[in-house]
Amino acid sequence: MAEHHGASAGGVSGRTARLTAMTSLPAPVREPAWSLPRSAIGLWATEGAIGAVLLWLGIGAFLLFVPASVGGPVPVLRWVLPVLGLVEAVLAIAIGPRIKHRVHRWEITAETAYIRTGWLTQTWTLVPISRIQTVDVTRGLLQQMFGLATVSVLTASSQGTVRIWHLEHDVAQRVADDLARRAELVRDQAT
Amino acid sequence: MTPPPALPVRRTSPRIVLVHTVTFRQARQLVPLLIPALAATGLGGGATTVVVLAVVVSLISLAAAGLSWWRFTYADGPGAVVVTRGLVSRSVRTVPNDRIRGVEVEAPVLHRLFGLVRVRIDAAAGAAGKDEEVLVDGISRAEGDRLRMAVLTHRSPAGSGAGDMAVVGDMAAGTVPPAEEELSRWSNRWLLYAPLVGSYLALPAAGLGALFRLAEELPDGALDALPEPDVPPTWAIALAVGAVVLLVVVGSIVGAALVNWGFRLVRRGGSLVAVRGLVTRRHTELEIDRIRGAAVSEGLGMRMAGAARTTALVTGLADAERRGQLLPLGPRAEAWALTHRLVDDPGPLVRHPRAALRRRIVRALAVGLAVTAVGAVLAATDGRWDVLAAGGALSVVGVLLARGLYGGLGHAAGPRSFSVRSGWLVRQQAVLERRAVIGWQVRQSWFQRRAGLATVTACVGAGSGGYAAVDMAADDVPGFTRAASASWAETLRPPDP
Repeated sequence: MAEHHGASAGGVSGRTARLTAMTSLPAPVREPAWSLPRSAIGLWATEGAIGAVLLWLGIGAFLLFVPASVGGPVPVLRWVLPVLGLVEAVLAIAIGPRIKHRVHRWEITAETAYIRTGWLTQTWTLVPISRIQTVDVTRGLLQQMFGLATVSVLTASSQGTVRIWHLEHDVAQRVADDLARRAELVRDQAT
Repeated sequence: MTPPPALPVRRTSPRIVLVHTVTFRQARQLVPLLIPALAATGLGGGATTVVVLAVVVSLISLAAAGLSWWRFTYADGPGAVVVTRGLVSRSVRTVPNDRIRGVEVEAPVLHRLFGLVRVRIDAAAGAAGKDEEVLVDGISRAEGDRLRMAVLTHRSPAGSGAGDMAVVGDMAAGTVPPAEEELSRWSNRWLLYAPLVGSYLALPAAGLGALFRLAEELPDGALDALPEPDVPPTWAIALAVGAVVLLVVVGSIVGAALVNWGFRLVRRGGSLVAVRGLVTRRHTELEIDRIRGAAVSEGLGMRMAGAARTTALVTGLADAERRGQLLPLGPRAEAWALTHRLVDDPGPLVRHPRAALRRRIVRALAVGLAVTAVGAVLAATDGRWDVLAAGGALSVVGVLLARGLYGGLGHAAGPRSFSVRSGWLVRQQAVLERRAVIGWQVRQSWFQRRAGLATVTACVGAGSGGYAAVDMAADDVPGFTRAASASWAETLRPPDP
């Protein structure tokens, strides 16, 4: 497995240090070793930009069609909404994607698939390969533009789903094939 | 998975047509069409129109029931159960026997009148998916038992081909009754617990609510026309309240009796068989190999009376809340004895750290203190003291609630099983086998991180899909996950500093 993560493994120690510094408290469990490819940042930023455009269309419509003379809270809103829109755009395009890239981590060990997500509320999900039922690779429209794909590892429990977002497409395919093959070998009929 | 051609194709009994005509089972789908039609034509003709309408509707119902009976066939073979149905587009559903998770034989009251039963065959539909169900409605009791036996016998992986068929033949003939062991038997005294159980209370309460709504919708004149009762209002009100309470209590007992009458849980070979019900007799069969654990739940009222209910956590069982019931209502000791016959006792629960209590108190106080603050302002400005008093009362109740919630928390890991408990209004303790765990999810919010807590959910392919140890000590997480599952959970252990 390790050979196709050589690129991401290089930056691990530095990023883990920053991660721990950011949260300032040790995590209750081990952090997964690998981070997502840098191109995921571009994808998240694009998503953020699309969201910001939609938001600004709404704000623009408000500024155009609701004159300040309506009274009530409108004069204040005409100032507050654009400021909020600006803050949201900066967060969604510039800051959010970098934070997401730091907090999304994943690892495939000899026995398990392991991910971690979330910033304020962090979630670690661990699934043993022997209990994997299906492995899916999905590519959304934006993901295709960035050459990325999502690997979904499903088990018999609705809560035991490991979803690795935004891996490079060839890596995703290899991970999925590898997991499916190993799950076949060690399949535990019990669910 | 097509059945061999020699497989006998079976039909349901024609008597089911009558049952379905009376219950409008198929014609029910036409109701949304009928209502606008009625609204358009109106009910102008009086009695004649009503009679004609009733006859027409009955005929439609008869025709629909007849058609669906005519087009329905089923066949059970050594490999699969095949059900064919549908008027225009024929649908053939083939359920491989190894996908079948359970068979339930039901006899609702009308079916019983005609000597019929309804067989539900549960099948898992694959990965993390919904469960599918095959319903064979309206076969004789003997045929129902034969079908259940045949399906369950074929499903077992051991034995094949002719040998298997011979066994089925024997069982169908009733010459080899499998050994039975009774695990639990209903005692009518347990009905006294019913008024303390929310779900049984809800039923008569809902009925009363409907009655009140009806009274409100009566034309004003109807109520005025009643003779004004000439009694002092205070004791009349007390009488009315007493009557309502009595009604609800009796209603809950009757409801519990209807559902649970004659409950019996037996172990027959590799299955647990539960039979219960007064009007509708229900016969549920659970495969012991698929039982991963059990959940004992006690509501607030049940805890006061020492009552509990036990539910089996079975992989791939649809409608598990109802079908998995091993003890619908009974003494706590009985519930636990039953649970420990199925799963090893993992030992006493470990209490969660005091920080978990503080978290609960902070959350509970937030509402109470906010109201108190508003009340203080009002008291200072307006001279109103009621809001302040309410805020104080809310705070006190909040703290009590927080203590109750904290008292419910706990987890334990034993040599072969583990357990988690939570809840106050309904306290549920799940006891699960270690092999049941198909994943771990650890969650930590910012507040939990500050308090050194974490919530650990065991992902399980049975029951609700996940059972959580809420707010356990963050340092204990790797130890607990390792002890409650297998070596793969070592992945979670942080490297030594």
